[in-house]
Amino acid sequence: MNKPNIFFATDPAKLFLPWMSMLMSFIAVLILAAGMLTYTSVTRWQRSVSGSLTVQIPTYTELGAARGELVDKDIETALTILRASDGILGATVLSDNQMADLMTPWLGDNAVMAELPLPKLIDVTVDPTAQLDLAQIQADLADQVPAATLDSHRIWLTPLLRLSSGIIKLIGFILLLLVLTTSFTVIYATRTSLSVHEPVISLVHMMGANDFYVTNQYANRSFRLTLAGALFGFGLALPIMAGASFFLRGVSSELVIQPTLTLMQWGTLITVPFVLSFLAFITTFKTVLAYLKRFL
Amino acid sequence: MSEKNKLSSPVAEFNGVSLRYGSGPEVLKDIQFALDPGSFYFMTGESGAGKTSLLGLLYMAHLPTKGRVRLFGYAVDELSRRAKARIRRQMGVVFQDFRLLPHLTAFDNVALPLRIAGVKESEIRRHVSEMLTWVGLEKSMRLLPEALSGGEQQRVAIARAVITRPTLLMADEPTGNVDDAMAKRLLHLFLELNKLGTTVVIATHNQGLIKHFNFPQLHLEKGRLSVIQSSTPYRDMAAKLFNRGDKE
Repeated sequence: MNKPNIFFATDPAKLFLPWMSMLMSFIAVLILAAGMLTYTSVTRWQRSVSGSLTVQIPTYTELGAARGELVDKDIETALTILRASDGILGATVLSDNQMADLMTPWLGDNAVMAELPLPKLIDVTVDPTAQLDLAQIQADLADQVPAATLDSHRIWLTPLLRLSSGIIKLIGFILLLLVLTTSFTVIYATRTSLSVHEPVISLVHMMGANDFYVTNQYANRSFRLTLAGALFGFGLALPIMAGASFFLRGVSSELVIQPTLTLMQWGTLITVPFVLSFLAFITTFKTVLAYLKRFL
Repeated sequence: MSEKNKLSSPVAEFNGVSLRYGSGPEVLKDIQFALDPGSFYFMTGESGAGKTSLLGLLYMAHLPTKGRVRLFGYAVDELSRRAKARIRRQMGVVFQDFRLLPHLTAFDNVALPLRIAGVKESEIRRHVSEMLTWVGLEKSMRLLPEALSGGEQQRVAIARAVITRPTLLMADEPTGNVDDAMAKRLLHLFLELNKLGTTVVIATHNQGLIKHFNFPQLHLEKGRLSVIQSSTPYRDMAAKLFNRGDKE
């Protein structure tokens, strides 16, 4: 003979909790996956901008005339501006040999390179921990060395990085809201169930059931129902992620990384149903324990 | 108080106990009595005299507004929740409205206190079947309370209260829905338990039973308690009843 269910033969939470947890898990998994992909992109962008800058000084005018001595003067001025700027550890002009090494993979031997109107390059080493005022450097260069060009991903990546960090914070906030919503929903469902079953609880209390007898039954059941729903929600999110990955495959570029998750990121995603269930367990446990205090 | 003294102390002891619900009038006034281990009392009094409230104090549904209640030597107001639960497991209560769980069969209702106490399922099966057979419900074990008559439900409630062989058994009108023959049969069940050392308190209006069994009475009148001793000491009475096999 099976041991009967004392509390939950008829219970309003029986369907409510799985549906709620399915929805929460579905949303949480998708949002977390998006957050992790954004974070991966941000980390990569940050890595790319934290290293160095390049300043180009053209050796020919736009009309093709050699700039001659102006080039050396521009280099001198640009070096002075760069070295005086905060957050710059050093600035050096690349030699012809260094330029040749850089170009060899594309242009082959040096004989061809000598024919090209290549600019002079100043390699600038940036302190990754310092706040670099790129706008000021660019303004100073434009003012004193109008021909110079500052090449930095940072210039256009900085606002993008800010946007991405904002998106990550927003995702964190949404996840926090999901956690709070789940907790409040579990509290509401548990309280409803407790008031429905008050006569039963009062009776078992009178028979000498200790608080944990009741709380454990409620918390375990909450865990099971939430886990079932949350795993289903996780399963529902998988085809959505596969579809998104398929459609975004074509737009993979320097900016948008390939929308695939690492093993560790998958590992993080699979914890979502369990984290939600554990949250439901703890919330239910505390709610029931607080409720039982009304009985002597 | 040492554990040894607690074992020999009264099962229940009321000292100057009063009770009121909220800001209402006092329903129990200056109650003073002690229940010795193995004693058997009827609790009598008109409706509204405070019988159910006094039983409620005995099974710790309420705390007194004045005075002190001791159970098994422990002051109830000083007990931890865990200790209260332990003491409650030594009690059996038959409620006036039975309080059977409607979604559990007669068998599972009776098994409930044993499951709460953590008894093995194999033992539960044996004990509960025996008990339900004893109260004449062997054919109704698998039925839900809604399928049972009032008298059968009452017997399930009694079986549930006595299944753990409690040290203190309280019953609120336990024979209200059964005929006289069954009432006496159930009283004999209580006597059997009493013979094994259980202290029994039965709230009843049934004058026939009170006269027939002639146990001392805790008589309540407008919230005040007086103890009416029986003409025959209850041990002698119990012995007499058992010896003559009173089953009429």
